[in-house]
Amino acid sequence: MTRPATGCKSRTRMLWVAAIGLSVFLATPAISHSQTDTSSNRLLRDTIPPAPVTSLLASDRKYDNGEAIDLTWVPSIDDQLLHGKITAYQIFRSDNGGEFKKVGDAIPGDNQFSDESVSYGHSYVYYVVALTAGGRAESIRTASLIAEREWINYNRKYLFLIGFIIAGSVVYFIETARRGKKLFIRRIAGLEAVDEAIGRATEMGRPILFISGTQDMDNVQTIAGITILGHVARTIADYDTKIRMPVSRSLVMTAARETIKTSYLAAGRPDAYSDDMVNYVTDEQFGFVAAVNGIMVREKPATCFYLGAFFAESLIMAETGYSIGAIQIAGTAMPTQLPFFVVACDFTLIGEELFAASAYLSNEPKQLGSLKGQDVGKAIALAMMIIGTIAVTVGQAWDVEFMNNIAHWLNSAFKTN
Amino acid sequence: MHHIALWVAAFLTLGIISFLYRDNAWYKICESVFVGISAGYWFVSYFWDNLYGKLWLGVFPRDPAQQPDYILLIGGALGVMMLLRLIPKIGWLSRWPLAFIVGATAGLNLIIYFASNVMVQVEDTIRPLFGANYSSSAYDIVGNIVVAVGTFAALIYFFFSKEHKGAFGGAAKVGIFVLMVTFGASFGYTVMSRISLLLGRIDFLMGDWLGVIK
Amino acid sequence: MNGRMYKYLAAVAVVTACVLLYVGKRVAWFEDMMFPTWLSILVCVLIAASMFWILLRTIKGKPAERRTVFLYVGIAVSLPLLMTISVHVPISTEGQLLFDGMKRIQPGSKVLVSFDYDPPSAPELQPMAEAFMRYCFERDIKVIIIGLWPQGPQQANLALAKLLAEPAISAKNLVYGVDYVNLGFQSGNEFVIQRMGSDFKSMFPADYRGTPYDSLPLVGNVRNFSGIDYSFNLSAGYPGTREWVLIGVDRFGLVMGAGNTAVQTTGMYPYVRSGQLKGILGGMSGAAEIEELTERLGKGAKFMVAQSFGHMVMIVFIVIGNVAYFLHERKKKKA
Repeated sequence: MTRPATGCKSRTRMLWVAAIGLSVFLATPAISHSQTDTSSNRLLRDTIPPAPVTSLLASDRKYDNGEAIDLTWVPSIDDQLLHGKITAYQIFRSDNGGEFKKVGDAIPGDNQFSDESVSYGHSYVYYVVALTAGGRAESIRTASLIAEREWINYNRKYLFLIGFIIAGSVVYFIETARRGKKLFIRRIAGLEAVDEAIGRATEMGRPILFISGTQDMDNVQTIAGITILGHVARTIADYDTKIRMPVSRSLVMTAARETIKTSYLAAGRPDAYSDDMVNYVTDEQFGFVAAVNGIMVREKPATCFYLGAFFAESLIMAETGYSIGAIQIAGTAMPTQLPFFVVACDFTLIGEELFAASAYLSNEPKQLGSLKGQDVGKAIALAMMIIGTIAVTVGQAWDVEFMNNIAHWLNSAFKTN
Repeated sequence: MHHIALWVAAFLTLGIISFLYRDNAWYKICESVFVGISAGYWFVSYFWDNLYGKLWLGVFPRDPAQQPDYILLIGGALGVMMLLRLIPKIGWLSRWPLAFIVGATAGLNLIIYFASNVMVQVEDTIRPLFGANYSSSAYDIVGNIVVAVGTFAALIYFFFSKEHKGAFGGAAKVGIFVLMVTFGASFGYTVMSRISLLLGRIDFLMGDWLGVIK
Repeated sequence: MNGRMYKYLAAVAVVTACVLLYVGKRVAWFEDMMFPTWLSILVCVLIAASMFWILLRTIKGKPAERRTVFLYVGIAVSLPLLMTISVHVPISTEGQLLFDGMKRIQPGSKVLVSFDYDPPSAPELQPMAEAFMRYCFERDIKVIIIGLWPQGPQQANLALAKLLAEPAISAKNLVYGVDYVNLGFQSGNEFVIQRMGSDFKSMFPADYRGTPYDSLPLVGNVRNFSGIDYSFNLSAGYPGTREWVLIGVDRFGLVMGAGNTAVQTTGMYPYVRSGQLKGILGGMSGAAEIEELTERLGKGAKFMVAQSFGHMVMIVFIVIGNVAYFLHERKKKKA
């Protein structure tokens, strides 16, 4: 039921009078509220319906999927003045002109509510009910509002801009590499050791063990590991060294077999290739490493490569490889596993060095270009962080407004919501 | 049955641990059992959770009120194409589902990783080193400086377009030093994790199996 | 008797002892074998003395074998379980942050708990799960369980069975489907989280028992993450906390705390620092922290004693190892 505005005002005046009277009464010294609050006052207060909320406004949330409408209101005068009279607010909604149903509650003092159960394209009307022990008061209904969805979230414009710059750099450098221009990548320690390690295995007549991680082909580290496998396979095809590659994902087995086969073909040794070089063990993490440990201890590979994404099995493998005296070359971008490889292996490609090594060895334009493009991204991030840190430090330490503004702009630019 | 299960579990646990002494037949048996059972477990799990639970029940739902989701058939077809790898003549078809998986994951991860791991972290790194009006404690100031310098230096270390020489090389050295300290801290945490795994097994052996601890 | 015979005899003796202990426990010959205080102290002194002896041997040029290190770590981790020693675990800033977030959850709120681990990580994560869900049940907070790992929901059921048998929670007569629900496992890794952002039901059309989603009063009107007041993720790897933060928190605004194995906790600290994660518990010490904060000590606190002993032994061996290394280097230089 909608209350007319005039009726609302006269009730408000009544309540103001009551409130002022009560305040005068309370101001009398040495008399506490609990001593003077008679049961008749309480009864009177409890039976008077409350004043409704006012200025109820519904707005469609911007840059969403049409699934949220935000409501704001000015709380009931009874909420502000007579503490504890308002027990709750209830929010009612009508969907596409249908019956009004309760969609949520708010506690006394609240002046907002987010309705996240709306559907895109539907029209909604709301009202809020203020509740007391004695009654309820409905607010005026909002105008009909359609939950809209937007195509573009402009809050993320800087995310788009920076992403566009980095992606554009990647594309630019890929094209540059394709045109034959040499792209500089700094020397990576550990890469020279790859060929030496393969040579050692050949001299000792023992196989090479290659583990390309324990994750699937959707992990970019696995792809980097398989790319380096291509280089390693070409070398071992030339040297006629054996390779053993247990894998823990069937897709990786497929990709690895193709890679090794292609390398043997390129080396002119297709007859020397065998599918048995790569075998699937199990998806189970510790089952896989138990099998790898068994292979290491029994077949005693001279060289072990661990290049890809690893979890807890990394230390177990590296420790066993160390105990059999193999040369171990590792590379992973898992920060939690790098410590073990650094400690137990002879050479470790740390983090992005794995991808750099993959690009360096394959000389593939896409990988080289991606690496250079990422460097652009790193340069932007580094520059922004240095400028931002200096600006916010100087701005806040010496209260320099210009610096504070720069820092504030940078903070808001890098916010993603 | 419970007693047999306990003794089998204890046998397998001790068999795997016996590898610490040296490779032996007991370990080989346990390893083979573990590998076989885990491969079988994952096969059964994938079959009932994905092939049956998602694909079959999605297309032929048990609940008559539920609408069949025919779009799952596309996923099913891609899965069949993966198996065509076994037929050399049409094995090239298996590259398509592989491309789909790699592409879909890359597409999803591109924005979420960039937004959460780059943008938010850059925004969080921009902090006043000394606090507003020098309000930070000495501990916080040192911490803020270490985080800022460490982040910058580590980023410089991973910059591949410039040789590590001169001042740039010096900053890269600071970066690798910071990384090694981080690895040490991470190593310490991981040691705790490994000891916890061992504790779990010892709790089983001494508690559930032998009953010497409560 | 030759060496082999001794080995066989030793094996037979060990097996016999195990059988006797097993049978003895079942027929209640003994309650447990906890050490009295004097024995605990004696054991600690003996271990310390033997390690000092190893240090002396190392200095003399006879370094310890790797199997000795394994043996000492095994002893350091096993024997404290028989001792009546307790360790006070200081509460970390991140743990306190998590608990402060938990305290803000109102009774009647819906909490999503994602069990993203398997039995190997249970020693670290199971105590956290039990402590968190106990806290929820005691305060009439509703719990919705899912898992992105196949064994996750099974671990959840183990925790639920243990909690529902406790007198305080049993007295509450919690009803499945009303006070808590286990929606089971769903494969798809981060794609599941992405899809849950718009529609829970499409990812979990039924719970792990096969009950249709709409028939469950607790989740019947939960469409997506907006119907969830708080989320707690227990993670041992991938998919786990990182995916939840990247998608659930940053994309859909989920309020989330996490419990991780110690291995990956350090990788999550940047998310805590930036406010994406509202606190984190790391490893066994994290489990002990939440037990202490919720005032119900369990396996987390109990295991920290053995954990601490294990760490001390490893620190001593690191020192011994470094002594051996530097002596070896000096010898090489002299030669």
